Amino acid sequence: MSNNMAKIADARKTVEQLKLEVNIERMMVSKAAADLMAYCEAHAKEDPLVTPVPSSENPFREKKLFCVIL
Amino acid sequence: MSEWCICSVFALQKVSIIIVIFACVVCKYIIYLSEVQLNETLAHLKTESETLKSKLEEERAKLHDVELHQVAEKVEGLGQFVMKTRRTLKGHGNKVLCMDWCKDKRRIVSSSQDGKVIVWDAFTTNKEHAVTMPCTWVMACAYAPSGCAVACGGLDNKCSVYPLSLDKNENLAAKKKSVAMHTNYLSACSFTNSDMQILTSSGDGTCALWDVESGQLLQSFHGHAADVLCLDLAPSETGNTFVSGGCDKKANVWDMRSGQCIQSFETHESDINSVRYYPSGDAFASGSDDATCRLYDLRADREVAIYSKESIIFGVSSVDFSLSGRLLFGGYNDYTINVWDVLKGTRVSILFGHENRVSTLRVSPDGTAFCTGSWDHTLRIWA
Repeated sequence: MSNNMAKIADARKTVEQLKLEVNIERMMVSKAAADLMAYCEAHAKEDPLVTPVPSSENPFREKKLFCVIL
Repeated sequence: MSEWCICSVFALQKVSIIIVIFACVVCKYIIYLSEVQLNETLAHLKTESETLKSKLEEERAKLHDVELHQVAEKVEGLGQFVMKTRRTLKGHGNKVLCMDWCKDKRRIVSSSQDGKVIVWDAFTTNKEHAVTMPCTWVMACAYAPSGCAVACGGLDNKCSVYPLSLDKNENLAAKKKSVAMHTNYLSACSFTNSDMQILTSSGDGTCALWDVESGQLLQSFHGHAADVLCLDLAPSETGNTFVSGGCDKKANVWDMRSGQCIQSFETHESDINSVRYYPSGDAFASGSDDATCRLYDLRADREVAIYSKESIIFGVSSVDFSLSGRLLFGGYNDYTINVWDVLKGTRVSILFGHENRVSTLRVSPDGTAFCTGSWDHTLRIWA
């Protein structure tokens, strides 16, 4: 009996959650995709992995020998 | 006289037995009826939830007017992609499970199966701090925004915060603070915008927000039907939400203040091992054991891209975006890293180097490099 009561409580929660999710506001994929693209284009210049920066500016690419004096 | 008494006593006994039997039968019938009613209510609720689910699918499909890669056809292709291992961090004695960058873009914290948590200087590959946790399988570690502390946890079901001191000889374990308590393993942790709050996810199916100073539970998030494996906080400009992924194949977006699940996505075919927000906060990517990475747009409320190839059959353990969001890096269980063009949906590059599965991957805060940790006991910095 209590098992059934617990199942019913769960089922009620799921139904309430689904009701919330069905009612949210949505946007067309074409608009959302356009926004994603716009963001990429706007920030492409600042992205060192997309527009390569000269090796001297990338601290990991610098060819330096590190002498670790113990 | 006595005969009459004996007869009446017997008769009374028989009648009372009959009454008791009748009462039992009536009780059982009432219980049966209420069970039937409960089952009916349950069945009714189940049909209602099925109807709502198909309505949700319908509403989502209405907006699906075009594919992302179609819209992206006019975008310029990416140039030649050359990335190599620039540093190898050796020092862990067993599988590296998790890592995180410090905001200073040079320090890294990593944790491994043998219980060790190490803080490295990625430029010089020197180890700055090392802590031994009292448990094995430290599956989660995170750097505090200030750079003054690290949080970690795993099979001990807790998340502990260690303040980092400048004195290298100081015993860090002495200052440890236990913050989070779950009833199963800790799978992921992350500081929010400050050192004061930590968000955790656990094998017990819940996520939780904790106050670091007092160890108090501020909010808990229930909704996953199985272990929660990963989480990521929205970029600070976009507000108080976070996304979590779990073994129930669902990725849920949560409101941190109310504890409510705002959106839920279930298109993966297996456990979701990693989730990461797109830099603008309007979308997030996920990596799963079904060997695919997927991009979900939060405003369109649906999956907008799948990154997969027939030749890739091993699961993705971790994903991260480059600074502009154009590239998606995925660490796979077949020891490789695949780099995807987020907009066009194509693979840009495949990187080799690790000798066992890649378990964790994070791009540095300034986007100049990314770091991977692997079951081959090493971490590699790629640039």
